[in-house]
Amino acid sequence: MIQLIFFLSIGALLFASLFFLARRNSRPEGSSGALIEARQALVALQAGLLPAELVHRIFANEDWEFVRSEAPAKVRELFMEERKKVALLWVEQVRTQIRSLRRFHRGSARSYARLNPRLEMELALSFAWLMSACRLLQLVVYVGGPYAAPRMVGAMANAASRACKISEQSLAFLNAAQLGILSSGSTGQAAS
Amino acid sequence: MWRWLVEGAGIAVELSLLVRALRVRLVPRYYFFYTYITSVMIGSAILMTILLRMPALYQKWYWPLQLATLVTGYGILLEILNHVLAPYPGAERFARISGLVAFGAILCFAMIAPRVIPQLSPGTVIEFERDLRSVQALFIFGLLALIFYYGIPIGKNMKGMVFGYGLYIFTILVSLALRSFAGASFTTIWSVVQPMTFDVSLVIWLVALWSYCPNPVPSPTIHLEEDYEALVTRTKSVIGHIRTYLGKAARA
Repeated sequence: MIQLIFFLSIGALLFASLFFLARRNSRPEGSSGALIEARQALVALQAGLLPAELVHRIFANEDWEFVRSEAPAKVRELFMEERKKVALLWVEQVRTQIRSLRRFHRGSARSYARLNPRLEMELALSFAWLMSACRLLQLVVYVGGPYAAPRMVGAMANAASRACKISEQSLAFLNAAQLGILSSGSTGQAAS
Repeated sequence: MWRWLVEGAGIAVELSLLVRALRVRLVPRYYFFYTYITSVMIGSAILMTILLRMPALYQKWYWPLQLATLVTGYGILLEILNHVLAPYPGAERFARISGLVAFGAILCFAMIAPRVIPQLSPGTVIEFERDLRSVQALFIFGLLALIFYYGIPIGKNMKGMVFGYGLYIFTILVSLALRSFAGASFTTIWSVVQPMTFDVSLVIWLVALWSYCPNPVPSPTIHLEEDYEALVTRTKSVIGHIRTYLGKAARA
């Protein structure tokens, strides 16, 4: 019986992938348009959508402590509502950033012959975990308010940092030639 | 009567596929696929002749021919690698590694198993084929997962090829698993389902390969290498930026 379930599961996996193949949009996802779009997203990131001070402010408990001790109930309520909206928006922005990075990575890595399958799988898992964590954090903030999960914000930030590090490792080889030029250039400069 | 009709229809569609391919010059483009079709057609013709003239020998010839077409069926997977993934060396490398592992497993099974078990009963041959088909199924699944993950475009010819073969592998795998579990009582259903599904796959191939539709390739107007290097430099800078910012957020 276990054997039957095992082989039927393989069949189900194959069938599901065929189903998605049949329903798949014929528009090539990795077109130049998509690459430009991803690049624009990266430029937007680079411009600094989320400065560190902002994050500190959104989740800083001292703001809430101050409002709670000084302001009347109506103001406290309004503060909490507004802060919740801002926190949710922040998580959404982080999610968008991660998605842009993933999209960029997929679009670029597939064309590179020295792609490392182990790193790719690690990266795919990290991205998947991170996206789920973002969704969960959104839910927690939505239900419990902006100060409900300070540790989760930290954990998510750490995971994002880890994913970024792996992504950087995975893409590092792409720039090997450029790094060689840079290092020889700097040597030349130092010599002069 | 029903069986003859299904088998005869299959040979007719296989012949149509080959004639059409010769007319629109598809054979040199999809060499491995048409080698598979030719091997299947020859195998079916041999089996039909045996069934007509020497029915006692049918069982003896069925399994070796089935295993031969199973190995040539790997050609379809090679076609996908060559046509769909060729412009994407990274994804192709990924697929080749998993493909080689799967092919190695098939060869090991085909060459070692008969030596280890010389008295292969029909039951064990069924299980043997089921195992090999599951390797193929896993490989197609992995290949499609890769295509979806990296957003690789797939043309009409290739889509039809993968879909037709995948559908056949799915049906045969489920049938073999059920036959292996239920025993001889499932033989009647299995002997009808298998050739019928293959006929469906043949029709899918005939429609998908009616004319040549090249697989979409990335736009040549974009200088990927140059753009990519610039993009990497920028992304590295962005990653550094995000890391610093997230580090601060984690400490906040």
